[in-house]
Amino acid sequence: MWKTVVRRILVMIPQLFVLSLIIFFLAQKMPGDPFSGLITPETDPSRIEELREQAGLNDPLPMQYVNWIKDVAQGDFGKSYTYKRSVSSLIGERAYNTFLLSLFSVILVYALAIPLGVIAGRYKDTFVDKTVVLYSFISYAIPTFVLSLIFLYVFGYQLSWFPTSGTVDVGIEEGTLSYYWNRIHHMLLPAITYAVLGTTGIIQYLRSEVIDAQTQDYVKTARSKGVPMRKVYTRHIFRNSLLPIAAFLGFTITGLLGGSIFIETIFGYPGMGQLFVNSVLTRDYSVITTLVMLFGFLTLLGSLLSDIIMSIVDPRIRID
Amino acid sequence: MKKRSLSLLALLFAALLALAACSGGGTDTKDTDKKDDDTSSKDKEETATLPLKIENEGEAIKGGTLQYGMVSDSPFQGVFSWELYDDAYDSTIMGFATNSLFDTGEDFLITDEGIGKLEVDADANKATITIREGVKWSDGEPLKIEDLIYAYQIIADKDYPGVRYDGDFRNIVGVEEYHDGKADTIAGLKKVDDTTLEISFKKLSPAIFSGGDGLWGYAAPKHQLESIPVADLLASDAVRKNPVTLGAFKFEKIVPGESVQFAKNEHYWRGEPKLDKIVLQTVPSSSAATAIKSGKFDIVDSFPATQYDNVKDLENIDVLGRPELAYSYLSFKLGKYDKENKVNVTDENAKMNDKALRQAMGYAIDVESVTKEFYQGLRTRGNSLIPPVFASFYDDSLEGITFDPEKAKTLLEEAGYKDVDGDGIREDKEGKPFVVNLAAMSGSDTDEAIVEYYRQNWKEVGIDVQLTTGRLIEFQSFYEKVKADDPEIDMFMAAWGTGTNPSPAGLYGKEAEFNFARIVSDELTNLLTDIDSKESMDATHRAKAFRAWQEYMAEQATTIPTYFRTEIVPVNKRVKNYNIDYIDGTQLHEIELVADAPVK
Repeated sequence: MWKTVVRRILVMIPQLFVLSLIIFFLAQKMPGDPFSGLITPETDPSRIEELREQAGLNDPLPMQYVNWIKDVAQGDFGKSYTYKRSVSSLIGERAYNTFLLSLFSVILVYALAIPLGVIAGRYKDTFVDKTVVLYSFISYAIPTFVLSLIFLYVFGYQLSWFPTSGTVDVGIEEGTLSYYWNRIHHMLLPAITYAVLGTTGIIQYLRSEVIDAQTQDYVKTARSKGVPMRKVYTRHIFRNSLLPIAAFLGFTITGLLGGSIFIETIFGYPGMGQLFVNSVLTRDYSVITTLVMLFGFLTLLGSLLSDIIMSIVDPRIRID
Repeated sequence: MKKRSLSLLALLFAALLALAACSGGGTDTKDTDKKDDDTSSKDKEETATLPLKIENEGEAIKGGTLQYGMVSDSPFQGVFSWELYDDAYDSTIMGFATNSLFDTGEDFLITDEGIGKLEVDADANKATITIREGVKWSDGEPLKIEDLIYAYQIIADKDYPGVRYDGDFRNIVGVEEYHDGKADTIAGLKKVDDTTLEISFKKLSPAIFSGGDGLWGYAAPKHQLESIPVADLLASDAVRKNPVTLGAFKFEKIVPGESVQFAKNEHYWRGEPKLDKIVLQTVPSSSAATAIKSGKFDIVDSFPATQYDNVKDLENIDVLGRPELAYSYLSFKLGKYDKENKVNVTDENAKMNDKALRQAMGYAIDVESVTKEFYQGLRTRGNSLIPPVFASFYDDSLEGITFDPEKAKTLLEEAGYKDVDGDGIREDKEGKPFVVNLAAMSGSDTDEAIVEYYRQNWKEVGIDVQLTTGRLIEFQSFYEKVKADDPEIDMFMAAWGTGTNPSPAGLYGKEAEFNFARIVSDELTNLLTDIDSKESMDATHRAKAFRAWQEYMAEQATTIPTYFRTEIVPVNKRVKNYNIDYIDGTQLHEIELVADAPVK
């Protein structure tokens, strides 16, 4: 198996190389450049031209690409044109915010979805099941931004239970206990919003797996041997039903860095999703390319992780 | 993934606007002439129907913290240096702790009220700045002439990464030599004594009184910055975390991209501020109205005009308004920009090179209805290319081009644009099909509706107007096309922020790349030269020169002003006095509060 893993990792190199080619040239193909947004009567077009020249944007594209890839190979992703600081520190800061929020959200999603899915499957066609299914359909149908705005309005502004924007209050001393509580407090509302919306898939998978499992031979065997129903569910059905969810776990882990543009924008939470869209709008090339490379790498890694996890949890599957 | 996020984003914004529009309690009155009992609004510009100031009753509390909201959908950049920043949000933030040397008065001209006093000797091409004695930086260090000089040295440094080392700046004697490393000091800057700096320029124009010609209006704290190489300034804590400043408040704590806490600057030269602290926080545009309604903020900056309906009737706030330093326009492409020789070239045979046609296009559109129906009166019809805030230069007697479809038809008829085949659409002078291509920018969903309305207006006078690319164009692509003189563009709608220097040379001059209409004529060149000439150092002469230029532009109709804009500022009733007038607005150190928390 480890041979396969090493091989898969080696294959990533040409894959990422092709991705880098595509994204570099496509990004440059967008109309405008990082400096074309700076037009006011008070900026001097010839100075902007000088800055463009200094940034190397007037060089032939292949040359720009070679310069860029050389720097990337040495771990230097350049400087953000918009934020005027190194791309790695900028992305690092946002990735930290996004990672915390996503991790928190994902924990909430599983905490909410797993019991609901199992209960709905076990008590199929009862009132409880119908309520859960109704909930999952509604949460599937509501657009993220609608629910975000509603939650923000009700819990943030009307009831004042949660802060309404940002990651932390400005006045609090860093490193203290109240600082960390304040950060968590800021994450709660966006995380809950995300969790309420993110459960649908897991509930539906679990529910149908549980329903399927009830008629499986191993369940019948267990029952006929006199194992109590409760134990059959916790020991046998539950573990088997989690398989399809485990299949996505790799993607879920790497997806923690993706961020959500909707939630970040509405809750004023500076994260990766927002950074990505803004960098496209301002043509911040260095940030765009780095982010796409990062997302690409994470996707490849996620699929590898998923395969590894599957081979661990399901002995029938082997990677060779 | 990228494509999807983008189209989703557009959808999101559209939906947010719709949502924001219905979350405001369903007020359906169209009355924009709301007047508060406790306010006076008659003075100043007639364009503003909103008051410029409020005075709330109640006894002021001692100290207190002002909650300041700044509407922004992305984190601020956090470059807190006047020499290096280029984002408007950073400038708003720095405004609380400004390093500005000069105060401005009428027409944004420099007055003697600030830290520095400016005297100009036009004949000798020299200016003298005298600074007040006893002015201190926020860390207690005295302000020195060296601090003024250091700001110039940052911009002129060979490693300076910003936009301000420009043609204007090179107007200071010795700047280029310093930049190229041929001199250790800037020859044109001379410290006369401890409070006096003499600056020599290559040439002087009236722009110097607006802070132009290369004059730099800010000091830089040399004692804090000199140990940091200019190339490293952008990344330094002195710019990002703890800038030393001269203004009423000083930076105390910053959460990058989100919020800033200011504390009062006890060394402030005008006197100790009455407030203890100011907390500034960004607020997403989707919840700006809700935030001010719920009493989260005392004052909200950059408030979206589209959400005006949601706040105008709130009990706990007053909405102030003032004219913006900007105008929107409809302009026509008459030629090309010659990159080699860096001049605009007007093409005699350009499709839109017909004065009557351009005027007719202007007379055909009903700008006034659009300002009322779509902008709730927060925009007014523009009659001139100078915004009314520049009271001495703005000519309110200019009629501009008003809505008059009959006149448009007559003009077209006389110019030879006749409907030959009887389908209601005019053909060109030779009787061939005639289509005018309009480039317009996308933004909110009302933009689409407005452009469609104008297209209908044009159709009613018989002109077939089609959109360049078939739809509205995203900001960057729009300017890319306009700048490159894309042959698919016959006319375009956009806006200019004018800044505080009203000189139009940078937008309409022969060599100006931003002269997007590409209009060049000897008469225009003379008019523009006169505005910035030595004779115009005399204010009356300059006002006359401005008037002559405005009349010429109105007659030529190459760029037709469409709207002037009003900026709105919601203010909570807890703020005792607040005046947003450009000239005698409330000074930051004077702001007081009448309650411990914003009124809900």
